[in-house]
Amino acid sequence: MTDSQATDQPERLRQKGRPRNSDAAARSLTAILNLVRTWRANTRQELERESELGRAIVSDRLATLADLGLVDESELGEASGGRAPRLVQFKAERARIVVATLDQTALGVGLADLSGRLLTEHHEELDLSAPAEATVARLGTLFDWLLGKDASPAPLWGIGISAPGPVQLPPGDDFLAGSPSFLPAWENHPFIEQLTVRFRAPAWIRSSVETMAVGELHASGGAGASDMLFVKVGKRIGASAICDGRLYRGAQGAAGLIGQLPVTSGARTAPLDLMAGSDMIAREGRAAAEAGASPVLADILARIGAITAIDVGQAAQMGDAVSMEVMSRSGHLIGHVVAALANMLNPSIIVLSGSIAQTNDILLAAVRETVYGESHPLVTRDLKISASRMGSSAGLAGAAKVVSEALFDPDLMREWITHGAPTAMPRFRATLAQIDALLSGSGRAERPAPPPSANAHSDRPS
Amino acid sequence: MPITGLGPHGERATPANRLKLSSEDQQLAQDRRFSVAIVLHTARSDWSNQQMAGIVGTLGDCAAVVTEVVDCGFDAPTQIAALERLGRAPVDAIISVPVANATVAEAHRQVARASIKLILHDNVPTGLLPGSDYTSLVSADNFGLGLIAAELLAAHIPPGREIVLLAYGEDFYATNEREIAFGRWMLVNRPDIKVRTVRFAGLDTAGEAALTAARAHPGIAGMFVVWDTPAIGAIAALEASGFGIPVTTVDLGNDAAVLLSQGRQIVGIAAQQPYWQGVAVAEATILAMLGRIIPSWVALPGLAVTRQNVAEMYQTVWRAQAPRDIIDALK
Repeated sequence: MTDSQATDQPERLRQKGRPRNSDAAARSLTAILNLVRTWRANTRQELERESELGRAIVSDRLATLADLGLVDESELGEASGGRAPRLVQFKAERARIVVATLDQTALGVGLADLSGRLLTEHHEELDLSAPAEATVARLGTLFDWLLGKDASPAPLWGIGISAPGPVQLPPGDDFLAGSPSFLPAWENHPFIEQLTVRFRAPAWIRSSVETMAVGELHASGGAGASDMLFVKVGKRIGASAICDGRLYRGAQGAAGLIGQLPVTSGARTAPLDLMAGSDMIAREGRAAAEAGASPVLADILARIGAITAIDVGQAAQMGDAVSMEVMSRSGHLIGHVVAALANMLNPSIIVLSGSIAQTNDILLAAVRETVYGESHPLVTRDLKISASRMGSSAGLAGAAKVVSEALFDPDLMREWITHGAPTAMPRFRATLAQIDALLSGSGRAERPAPPPSANAHSDRPS
Repeated sequence: MPITGLGPHGERATPANRLKLSSEDQQLAQDRRFSVAIVLHTARSDWSNQQMAGIVGTLGDCAAVVTEVVDCGFDAPTQIAALERLGRAPVDAIISVPVANATVAEAHRQVARASIKLILHDNVPTGLLPGSDYTSLVSADNFGLGLIAAELLAAHIPPGREIVLLAYGEDFYATNEREIAFGRWMLVNRPDIKVRTVRFAGLDTAGEAALTAARAHPGIAGMFVVWDTPAIGAIAALEASGFGIPVTTVDLGNDAAVLLSQGRQIVGIAAQQPYWQGVAVAEATILAMLGRIIPSWVALPGLAVTRQNVAEMYQTVWRAQAPRDIIDALK
């Protein structure tokens, strides 16, 4: 379905005498859809009870939501004595979300439905030090591929990006009208503007540790937990916290930069990134290979000419003593910092991610040993510490969930629900026109002004 | 040859030699007399036959009995029914090549929930996670295969011409990777070539799809087909209608190898090593049944095959002498 088809919806609604764009109608539509979407109410009776709306209004709003393709009542639920009730189900396949993860060495892309569930994904190597223009072009090509491969005619409603560093964002969950600052080399590059214009859909961005934490929470081992600590181990070491089921971003979106914290090993004190990150692991591995202390690593060095942290991790897994020692030291240093966070936040689960953490049991064991040893017994009583099983998929799943939650955020949804689609919402159309004019008119990268706040438009007249 | 692609969850590949069975592993497995079922996307291809030889032989060395082999014929309902049945059967492990993506995901997930070790070969339905939903994926470096096929075809394409990428319509990890890699190589190394992607829904429609594309774009100068069986169908349809264009594909099946040796349309093949992939699958299965930790993605590199090296590559891939047709054609 195209944008123009989506914009046909309001006309249809008005002809049928469905609610005009009044704030009250938008509010009840939003409330009912979110009750259905989050499984808090899935029959008409439950909706009347949970929304505190009358039968006629619930019935009318469900008819409108069905017209918009957002709910379906074709299935029957379980009968409790009388006739089986019709199930009211959210139609997550109504539209699509495309997502991407940008990492120092890899690029991932995925296609998701409106529930944030990944439908397909792809990962490939990427050199993030390459010009931003080339990376954005590649991203566009892969998004085109995902959308072209999708057999469904569902339109695109949102773009989610997982960035390799902390992202400074204005408060709230509004879509972006310009590219935020997250990587020095990408400063002033209008990549969000380019993606928004090319795919005619609103975009959101979060840091990789944030999206991965959200992904782990919703799609993997963290499912059901409301307090989770997520730690990513790579060249840099970062963390993200989920508190009461919500991502904690901090005042500047910079929460969790634990790689900056000083740690001490032997006589040396330096930031955790330098003392325990993948660069240190690779460097120590190479030194061991050159010194002849590790036959396994010496063999890899002789054949390939380089040692990576993953080589050291794999050698440790095979029982190489030097590699085990390197991984163990790194794990203890990370565990020391994570223990401090665990004592502060009292999570129910800690997930370690990053290719080194995921492929190496020694590092995981060292983190566990240190966290359990340095934490208050109450903190560790039911604490689970595990390695991620999702890998980079967590970033994609989390980015999709971020977009899904933002699209159905009551404030934003009230703006678009009576227009049938977020892409048909006047404020998004205005932003698109503004970006279009700036990108094509001046021919240079300038950022448009941020969109007016969603709240300012929640009572927009029809 | 290095592995150029990433795994289904962005993992870095683990080389197959990480899975080597020790004599102690073999003895332990022999003592426990495991039983294994195999669920194939298709049993009717040279690739399947070769990987089966690797799997069955290696399992046999460990006294693990293959109790059943299911040929799903690329049909998702058949695979779902087979997995549901085998999930209740007394087997220790199931080796499966998923025929599709979302459609067969839940059936595979149920296997792991039945406490049966699940080893995937070549494909992972989106949403399945290593560790909880399956034990390990063993596959070729499919991204690398796409790069090899692109480079082999590009050498036969004059500047500024159009080519067709005949891609599989199903959402299938292995063919997706080849398709993406092929496009990427062309974009980076031969931006003068315009790539038109055409999809076929099944093996019986590949020839028709190729012919339709050739008729719609009579100027096309070459074609890449994502694996050999549809490539043979595409070439037959093109030849019958007088279209003689260079073709590259993936997998050194017997028919494709013969065409390559004869210099008839196929100008290069990116070959998997299905026998060795089968060996790696069996080793991963044995280690999983013994309770060992195994990596989530094990990959084997692809091989570039041209008319010049097809005889020796045939031996490498098939572990057998090249047939007389090939030897004669090369004289």
